Amino acid sequence: MSFANYKSVIEQGDTVILYLSVNNMHAIKVEQRIKNKKNEMVENVFQTPYGALKVKSLIGQTFGSKVALSKGWAYVLHPTPELWTLTLPHRTQIIYTPDISIILFQLELKPGSVVLESGTGSGSLSHALIRCIKPHGHLYTFDFHAQRVEVARAEFEDHLVSEYVTVQQRDVCQTGFGPDVKGVADAVFLDLPHPWEAVPHAVEAMKEKGGRFVSFSPCIEQVQRTCEALAQQGFIELQTMECLQKELTVQTRAMSVLPLPDFSQPQHQQQPRGGGGGGVAGGERAAEGGEGGAREQCRFLTGVPPPSLPGHTGYLTAASLPPRWARTLRSPPQPLSA
Amino acid sequence: MSEGSDEVVRVGEYIVLQRQSYTKLHKVSDHGTVMLGKDQIDIKSIIGKPLWTTYKMEPKKGSKRDFILAECDSAESLAEQLIKAVSSGVDNRNIFDDGNSQQLSTEEIISMRQEGMSGQDIVGQLVENSKTFRDKTEYSQEKYLKKKEKKYFEYVTIRKPTIRLIAQILYRQDSTKIMGLRMDTLSQISTAAGVQSQGTYLLYESGCQGLVAAALVNSLDEGGCLVHTHAGNIPQKQAILAMNFSEAQKSRLISVNIHSLLRKLHQLKDSIVNTVSDKDNQSSTCNGDHVMSQNSSESEQVVEVEMKLEKSVNISTESKNNNEEKVVNINENEDVQNDTNDRKRKHSDVEDSGPKKPRWELETERAALILKSQLADGLIVVAKEHPRNIFLALLEWVNPSRPFTVFCLCREPLMDLYVYLKSRNDVIALRLTESWLRTHQILPNRTHPDILMSGSGGYLLSGIVVRDTAVETVD
Ligand SMILES: C[S@@+](CC[C@H](N)C(=O)[O-])C[C@H]1O[C@@H](n2cnc3c(N)ncnc32)[C@H](O)[C@@H]1O
Repeated sequence: MSFANYKSVIEQGDTVILYLSVNNMHAIKVEQRIKNKKNEMVENVFQTPYGALKVKSLIGQTFGSKVALSKGWAYVLHPTPELWTLTLPHRTQIIYTPDISIILFQLELKPGSVVLESGTGSGSLSHALIRCIKPHGHLYTFDFHAQRVEVARAEFEDHLVSEYVTVQQRDVCQTGFGPDVKGVADAVFLDLPHPWEAVPHAVEAMKEKGGRFVSFSPCIEQVQRTCEALAQQGFIELQTMECLQKELTVQTRAMSVLPLPDFSQPQHQQQPRGGGGGGVAGGERAAEGGEGGAREQCRFLTGVPPPSLPGHTGYLTAASLPPRWARTLRSPPQPLSA
Repeated sequence: MSEGSDEVVRVGEYIVLQRQSYTKLHKVSDHGTVMLGKDQIDIKSIIGKPLWTTYKMEPKKGSKRDFILAECDSAESLAEQLIKAVSSGVDNRNIFDDGNSQQLSTEEIISMRQEGMSGQDIVGQLVENSKTFRDKTEYSQEKYLKKKEKKYFEYVTIRKPTIRLIAQILYRQDSTKIMGLRMDTLSQISTAAGVQSQGTYLLYESGCQGLVAAALVNSLDEGGCLVHTHAGNIPQKQAILAMNFSEAQKSRLISVNIHSLLRKLHQLKDSIVNTVSDKDNQSSTCNGDHVMSQNSSESEQVVEVEMKLEKSVNISTESKNNNEEKVVNINENEDVQNDTNDRKRKHSDVEDSGPKKPRWELETERAALILKSQLADGLIVVAKEHPRNIFLALLEWVNPSRPFTVFCLCREPLMDLYVYLKSRNDVIALRLTESWLRTHQILPNRTHPDILMSGSGGYLLSGIVVRDTAVETVD
């Protein structure tokens, strides 16, 4: 298994996604035996609400097939950056797929791009960045937190993508992105508490011909300062946006129809309007619902928005850095977003 | 593809012309003029010059609407110009100029510009913040505004088309012509389909000017392939053309008629001849022409009959499709139409050329063989038609454990599809989503969400294909 390329049969050491429901998925590493709390090697059994899964039994199964649990079944899926984002072990706040989608798009990434990222955090975005730029591009990702760097590096190795990524421990605000990446980047992404401090370093890291920049910040004050820094450094086409993805629950719903007599009709012809009413003649009585049995039901299919949803994730600020030779030139105002 | 400073304007390629908030796609020809609004601009001078160059529009002698472009190497700062202009009132009898009549600082104006505020808005801001503006006569106010506006509308920058810019241009020109496919939704299509550079993807696209196909091709590398199905004879491809794809990139795109493809696929499925070729096909990639040559002999027999059939179908629908294409193209860039016509001519040339198989047929075979041998790694349907039967027809050509996504401007067709798919056992993780996007003005002390936002970016129904098999029993 590799996050970079699909394969069909599950082998020892693979990471698989165990799908129980759309809101209940788990990333599992296929190992026959694992250490228990007492540090003894025991058979690897994964517990779910539908019973236990002997992880060993996954070996030889094809991705996308049904597997038995002791009290039910589940699907095993090939991992993708999107599924990983939903199942990864959180070490920090992470960025989710709707924002990730815009980040990839706004960074104008394509195979072969060189992209810088800081901080690495839990590697949620990193996996998506790697998929975009492989096989000939490269991701340089930086975090000043030693353990996060270590864990991310191990994950990339585990997921067979380490050839596309370099993880470094570094405080990018204090010391920049380092001499290795001077003038190499097509795109820079920041998810930092003080992104504006890293903006001048981003310029240094970017290619002569310029490139794209995106920063993710939860607070508008961060955005304000980042925009100031970007303008100062010669970035143009600044755009700040926020995106939410609303999931609709598809349901058939029924509403009862209140029978109302049609008062425009002569008295003797009065029928409950729109009401089956079971032969009830008077509108009023039908409205009380007392007799005549079931009322007419109107059934319809609808997409119900969630009663509550995250109303804010973060602001995304995107900008273009023109080629070096064109930077001193004041180009005319740029359009607002589409 | 070209990189760095060798990125210059070439005849035959597309560029983005940017004048203020107005951007336009244009195919460069050697006798180039281009209309920007009502102005006709001679762009001969930009050929061979680096992209990102900014030009000043200079009126041709004796004409108000004809311009030439002069490269500006030492343009004054916009802010300086503005300040200068604003502080030079026409009638200054009542104006006490303490040097502070313009309350906006240079920095603030620069940041307005960087923010992407249009020249018009900047002028508006300047007026609002100019103590002296109100003291001017009405006449001089008007004159002042015209002068300002003109001043800040006279530069043109030449940019390289990217998916982001093309999506932005098409959306702003007329979002109904791309079915309201907003940037955020377009970006979510790529992630929902899990597009990676070496995969094989199956797309149906209509009513989007090739925008989705272009975005997908842009994400592919060696070994990657996009089978782009469409309903007519010729796909819409404004966006594909605008990307100036290299030959290598173009070879990863196979545009085929969906009927022809499905027919061919079902023949292949039924034919015994082809079971033999299964193993060979395993290694076939989209890039190799060898796929065609290697397999064409095997499928020849099957194809032969079909070819005749297909031909008559195609001819009979030709005229109708021609009209359709034309209607679309008239409202677009003239250059596209030329290009499609070119293609059409070639297309029919091939068709007339005797026993040789027409290009569309070779492409259909190639697509069918690729899908038959390796199935798709993702399915994307972006249709102006009801998506249900299109989606279902293509679904069986997708590998298990691979994602799919269906875009629709309205939610109802997707709800219907959702309900139906729930009853099947070969798709899971169904999600119907709508994206919400809000943009913001970020300025010192004047930060707020933009006044106008788009009401809907359309809906996506996404999910994952699985094997429809019985559970393996526990050992
Ligand atoms: C919110 S997390 C990033 C999450 C990541 N984008 C993801 O999707 O998983 C922010 C990370 O930035 C790191 N960080 C903060 N300041 C930093 C700095 N000056 N240099 C490098 N990393 C920094 C933190 O250690 C933290 O891991």
